[in-house]
Order: sequence, then structure tokens, then C-alpha cells
Amino acid sequence: MEDVGKIDVHDLHWMMDMIQSIDVGLVVLDADYNVQVWNGFMENHSGNNSAQVLGNNLFKLFPYIPKDWFERKVNSVFLLKSQSFSNWEHRPYLFKFKNYRPITGSTEHMYQNVTFIPLITTSGEITQIGIMIYDVTDTAVNRMELEKANKQLERLSRTDRLTNLNNRGYWEECLENEYQRCARTKRHSSLLMFDIDHFKKVNDTYGHQAGDEVIRVVSKTLLDTIRATDIAGRYGGEEFAVLLIDTDQEGALLVAERLRKAIEATVVTYEDTEIRFTISLGIAEYNDNIESHTAWLEQSDKALYQSKESGRNNSTIYK
Amino acid sequence: MTVQNKRVSILPDMTIPVLICDDSSFARKQMARALPENWDVSLSYAQNGVEAMDILRQGAAEVLFLDLNMPEMDGYEVLETVRKEDLNTMVIVVSGDIQQEAHKKVISLGAMDFIKKPVHKEEIHNILNEYGILQLSDKKLEIQDEEKVDNFDFFQELANVSMGRGIDLLSKLLDVYIPMPIPKVSHVEISDLCMTLKEVDHNDELTPICQGFIGTGIAGEVLLLFNKVKNEDVAALMNYSGEQNDVVALELLMDIASVLSGACLNGLTEQLDLAFSLGSPRVLGQHVKMDDLLQNKESNRWTKTLAIEMGFEVEKSELQCNLIMLFTEDSLLKLNHLVEYLN
Repeated sequence: MEDVGKIDVHDLHWMMDMIQSIDVGLVVLDADYNVQVWNGFMENHSGNNSAQVLGNNLFKLFPYIPKDWFERKVNSVFLLKSQSFSNWEHRPYLFKFKNYRPITGSTEHMYQNVTFIPLITTSGEITQIGIMIYDVTDTAVNRMELEKANKQLERLSRTDRLTNLNNRGYWEECLENEYQRCARTKRHSSLLMFDIDHFKKVNDTYGHQAGDEVIRVVSKTLLDTIRATDIAGRYGGEEFAVLLIDTDQEGALLVAERLRKAIEATVVTYEDTEIRFTISLGIAEYNDNIESHTAWLEQSDKALYQSKESGRNNSTIYK
Repeated sequence: MTVQNKRVSILPDMTIPVLICDDSSFARKQMARALPENWDVSLSYAQNGVEAMDILRQGAAEVLFLDLNMPEMDGYEVLETVRKEDLNTMVIVVSGDIQQEAHKKVISLGAMDFIKKPVHKEEIHNILNEYGILQLSDKKLEIQDEEKVDNFDFFQELANVSMGRGIDLLSKLLDVYIPMPIPKVSHVEISDLCMTLKEVDHNDELTPICQGFIGTGIAGEVLLLFNKVKNEDVAALMNYSGEQNDVVALELLMDIASVLSGACLNGLTEQLDLAFSLGSPRVLGQHVKMDDLLQNKESNRWTKTLAIEMGFEVEKSELQCNLIMLFTEDSLLKLNHLVEYLN
């Protein structure tokens, strides 16, 4: 391994040429952090040519490099003769290089992955370390954009377009999770379901667009009434469902009544017509006898049905 | 009275009875082959401490090359018993666990010297010379070849030494003693790996970090599963006093990971005479959803391959780690070839 044979001056020349022109930053430091090698990539991106840099202390040259962090990385290379790495996701860059592409550059600085390697002398000691700086700006930008797009997609796939409430599919997922959480933690949440009384009449009398406006107003009133931790969803056309986290049935009834009264007092004006309407509500608190999340849903649905039976515009607790 | 003081001298021209005690047939063979060729000795072997004690009690071993981690009765127990029973033998420990603590402990238990695995001819020669027991004769030392070493045994020893390197470097980095576990070598099927990955996905307490490696003909990935990582634990272990948050803790964990996998690979390099390049570590499941990863797996790039697994705990913290080194299916060819060559 050691014996690579004679390297001729000519060979050395082209090897140096490659080191100089490779599109990766190459730096060699001695034990006191003085720069020993500074290749073309480093010259070009930093704007400091080797004459200005060689022999000088890294922290004097680049005071923004966090010394504690850097020393920790480098110490393990010196002491343990082991490689260490820095990833752009934890630390965007080691050297702050400005983005140099006026057209395709979309970030302020270059994102870098960095590898620190021990440079072992023929006698087996480490007196220098090598640093390789990879420009991963494109990867970083792609990944960040992808993540942003994924987040947006996820949000869109969970949301009901008309009301911005959770859609039925996602809300049911939440219900299942909450059911399991209650079963596990023995903390009691309540399930509140309600629908708009005689909604068909609103649609038939004033048209679908008026109906949509009514649904939007109900959703907004709902969000204004519940806490940020409660989970509201549009369950069907004019049917809504809310998970009231860590709330017993009495607490849920207070919320229901507050919402019912707020809706009763609401007037929706659509094309100069005033529309008034009411809602009917049903409540079911979690208990250990409920066998599944669908059973829980059925209970609140039954309570809602009772509210309808007993004349609408009221709230019923499942018994 | 220590054991080595009791050795008066070996009469000239006397064949020295030497015992090699190691649970690995490959390690026993390697040890025997590292002995000087003209050393005037008669060799015997033991597979564990119990067997070794039988031979020692018969007075049939003046020099004992002793492994530390063995089933039945380990090297430490052998040293203790030798001392207790005041047996006349000179013990040289040959160990895959190379932590400073292990070294100190065996010396305090009466061992003459401590050699790191894998053993090198020159080193053995020097030690024997130093203690004046290198009696050369005209005869060539005959090693009665034991049974042929099987591949698994070879991989096991490969694993012991490599993991020993990893544990040692980690103990230096964190400045703690880490009890040396015995790594498990097994053939795994793609379904085993999928199961592990699924478990990782469902367990919030696991932080999985992956790092790829590649050398000529041998490649794979090291998977480190850290359990119950607490930010303050990691910071304390790494002597980090700055601001603590998840990103910093993860970066520190990555540092620990690359030291570990780097050292394990250095262990492989030393034994196989093969240099590896190591990729940058990454957290698994952070960007690629585990489900997608699994789906790709099921579309099947390999079926069955070799895995080395080792679990250990870091003292004075709750940090637990499982290290799995998985080779590519292609690597098996080269690995099997190496076994043939070393046999």
C-alpha cells in the first residue's frame, strides 16, 4: 500500500492540476488550524487566493466559523483518527459563500456538506486534517421545495374547500386517534355533532349559493366558539362534527348551547335577503363501554336525532 | 504473589507447552499461525475457559494465549481462577475488546501482556522475546490444522474485532467504559429487514441513522438505532455545553454515529486489508417515508444477505444503541472468497 512507486514531476503536475480545478473545496489544516492547502474552488468562491490564505489561522481568516463546534469536529479526527461529517440540514454551511448564479441561483448562500478526514503521515501520526466541501445547494433547494409542496399537499388533502374545516376523511382519522387516546389515557373527550335545521328549505328558497354562504358562516361561528385544540370537521353537506378534547358532557353541553345561541342570533345577508336559521346538536362523552370510534359516532348521531325529534334548535346528551 | 513472578526459568531445549484458548476456531487458527515458525513448543487448544482450566490444572500449559469474551467461562474468570489456584502459567491476553479498562483489568488480574486482535506475527515475536521465552529450535513448529474454519466462524471473528474497534473508539470519545457485547452474525432475508424497519417506523423512541460504506468488492450500510435519546444525555456525553435543542442533539448523535461506524470499518480494513470509503450519515425516515422505502425493498433488489448486529449501552446515561451492519448480496462473493484464502 505504502509503496506507490516513483511519482514523476510530470505526474505530480497534472495531479496538482486536478486538485486545483476539481469542483469540490479542498482545504488542509495543521494542528493549529493554519491553512496548508486552499484549492481553486476555495479561491474562487471565497475571493481569497492562496497567497492571502496559506499559513494563516482559519479563525482569523473567517471569524464567523463557530470555534467550539469546529474544534469538536476536528478533535475527533485528530484523536480518534476517524472521519467526521457536517450535513447542510444541521448546519447550512462551513464557509459562507454567496450564491454566484444571477439567473438560476435562488438562495442567498451555498449549502454545503463537509467531510473532515485525518491525513496520516508515513510514520502513522496525524499532523494535518483534510476538509472537503461539497456544494449541495441544488439538492438542498430541491428538498426544501419538495417539503414545502408536500406540506401544502397534505394540508389541501385534509381540508374542506368551502369551509376550510377538516374534511370528512381526515376528521374521521382524527376521531379514530382520539378514540384510541381516550381508551389509553382514560381521559374523557366528548363528541359533538350538529346540522342546520331545514337546510334544504334554505337551498330551495334562496339558491345554492346562499346555502353555501350559510355553511361558511356556520363554520366560522363554530371556529370562533371552540378552542384551538378542539378538532372540527365538515361531516356531510350541512352536517358538522367536533371533537372536544378533554371535555366531559356537561362541558360539551355548555359549548353546544353557546354555539346554538350564537347561530340563532346570526343573520346571513345574501343579495339583500336576510336569512335566519337554527341548528340541532347531539353530544356523546367517551366511556369505556364504547366499543369503537364508529359506535361513539353513532351515539352522538342518536342524540342529534333526539334533538330533531323534540322540536329542533336544541342540544341533547346521549343517554 | 503474581503469576509471572513464579516463573523461574524454562530449562534450555525444553519444548514449551502452549495453550490457545478462544471460542472462535478461526481465531485459534490465526493465533497459531502468528507464532514464530521455529518456536519450540507443543500446541494445544481450548474452546472456552472451562476447557482451558482443565488443561491448566494438569500443568500442561506454561504459556496461555487467552481470549476475553467467551461463553461458559470467560477470560476474566480464567485469570481469577488461575490466581486463586496459584497455577503456574504465563497468560497473554488476546482480545477484541481493546478498551483501556479491559487492558487495565486483565493486567491487574495477573496477565503478563495484552495483545489486540487481529494478532500480528511481529508483535508476538517481540513479546515472546521480551519475556525470554522464545526458544528457537531447528524443528519447524507444526500446527496441526484443526477442522476447517467455516464461513460463519470467520464472520463472527471479523465482527468481534470490528465491533471491538468501534466500542473502543466510542469509549474514548465519550470517556466511559462500555461493556463489550458479543456481536451476532446472521443471514438475514429481505423480510427480516423490512420487519425491523417497520418497527423503527412505529417506535417514536428510536432514532435511526444510516451510513453507507464501499470498498473493492465489499459494500453495505451501517444502521444505528439509538433508543430513548434525551438531548441532555447526548450533550452531557459529548461534553457539549452550548444551547440544547433537537437539531444540535441530532448533530451530536450523527458525530457519535460516524465515529462508531468509522471505527468498525477500520476494524474490517485491518483484517481484510481493504480500504473503505464512508458516506455521510443520514437520519432514516426523515425525508423518505419508511413505507416508500419498504415498497422499494419489496420490489426486491436482494433476497438474502449477511448482517452483523450488536447492542450496547453507554454507562452513566440511558443511551442504548443497536448497530446493524448489513452487507450487499454481492459482497458475499468476495467475503466467501476471503475465507477460502485465509483457511
